[in-house]
Amino acid sequence: MSQENMSNDNVESATEDPTDDDMILETDVAAGLEEGSETVRTARERSIVEANGINVWYNDEQALQDITMSVPENQVTAMIGPSGCGKSTFLRCINRMNDMIDAARVEGELYLGEKNVYDPDVDPVALRRRVGMVFQKPNPFPKSIYDNVAYGLKIQDIGGNHDEIVEESLKRAALWDEVKDQLDESGLDLSGGQQQRLCIARAIAPDPEVILMDEPASALDPVATSKIEDLIDELAEDYTVIIVTHNMQQAARISDKTAVFLTGGELVEFDDTKTIFENPEHERVEDYITGKFG
Amino acid sequence: MARENYQEKLDSLEEDVLYMSEVVVDRLRTALTALENKDDDAAWEVIDGDSEINSLYLDIEQQCVDLLALQQPVAGDLRFIAASFKIITDLERIGDLATNLGEYTLDARNDVYPEVDVQAIGDKTVSMVEKAMSAYGARDTETCFEINESDDELDAMCEHASQSVVRDLIENELDDGTEVETVLEDVSRLLLTVRDLERIGDHAVNIAARTLYMVENDDELIY
Repeated sequence: MSQENMSNDNVESATEDPTDDDMILETDVAAGLEEGSETVRTARERSIVEANGINVWYNDEQALQDITMSVPENQVTAMIGPSGCGKSTFLRCINRMNDMIDAARVEGELYLGEKNVYDPDVDPVALRRRVGMVFQKPNPFPKSIYDNVAYGLKIQDIGGNHDEIVEESLKRAALWDEVKDQLDESGLDLSGGQQQRLCIARAIAPDPEVILMDEPASALDPVATSKIEDLIDELAEDYTVIIVTHNMQQAARISDKTAVFLTGGELVEFDDTKTIFENPEHERVEDYITGKFG
Repeated sequence: MARENYQEKLDSLEEDVLYMSEVVVDRLRTALTALENKDDDAAWEVIDGDSEINSLYLDIEQQCVDLLALQQPVAGDLRFIAASFKIITDLERIGDLATNLGEYTLDARNDVYPEVDVQAIGDKTVSMVEKAMSAYGARDTETCFEINESDDELDAMCEHASQSVVRDLIENELDDGTEVETVLEDVSRLLLTVRDLERIGDHAVNIAARTLYMVENDDELIY
């Protein structure tokens, strides 16, 4: 895919010689936040999600303020911040889940690859095939394990060998060995941790490019949480994972990049997770992650 | 401010590290005085007092481990704890080296090379350790670099002292009937004293380096 037609100030030409005509322009992931500052990174990474001046309102209340950021491909990007800071709102902008909220109004551009997902010709249902989502509370359908995973394939009329796709998805979700002999049994009979992995299998079955996770482990016990975290790490080999979490240690453990949203819907800092947790640039971010407020 | 209990623990850690440094510097001064005056009582005070420094070290180390395990510190707090964890190791080693000086005092018989100004070297090391800990307490990065420069001066003083002793040994044969073994022991002790003081300077630089890292996330002085 190409992003060459994007008119985004954050996009800079790759400094290395291109070796592939279809090569994505590599972007400075942190640029746009603090241009000219020390946080502007020299490492070039492919970005898959590009937000450019995203503003969101719920009725008259502004939930996100001018969010500009580039999410790198095939990495785990965590979004942290206090309650009400807009991190989940931003997540829902990426697959246009906010469309389902009547009071929500979105302005700005949000590119998935080369396409602004808010262009009028974008079909939100087709978009959600490219952007899977996993929620806080495991929400398997009252159907069999098999049908849960195959659900997206059927409603989106995705061809191929569904048996193989279901098996592969369950394997990628690290659930296959536990359920391979009970595929016809209800997904609701699984444990909470298994249900969440089932939801992940369901999300990856249509082979999306991006997987959004909104606090996917907050309702799980520590063992189930660690399985989800291991899974996220493995998923990042094939997918871009964007995760909202209230658990800062979880963000520190599993993510490559961390975006810190603070009250008022402001993206204050976005950088390598290591930098955010060892030496953040902004005092407000330091105060938040060290627990001095929030 | 949120996490008041956590903040109190951080404050307590800093107070304890600074207290440990005061004890260590006090022992170092006592050891130098003992060496100067051949004061066995003072030397024993340093030697016996090492267990107190070791206890302080273990107590503060446990505080650091508890903070890491229970509070999951990040950013500036994490660097402060990591730096403190390293600095107490340097302080404990300075305590050990002060103990060495105490033992040299007990073993010393003759003032073999009075022209070697051990006290001047010792005073410089005390000053470096004090400044390093002051920089830690005050988050003073400028002083960190000054200590690094002071170490070059200290190294030069130590090298000069050692070379003058060795040169004298080479150039002057013993002709006053002194037993060779006795002189050898005294000379070895003097060279070890100089070496230990030089190492104390190195530990002061380590403290400065960790302080710089703690304050500015800058590892320039580390190694």
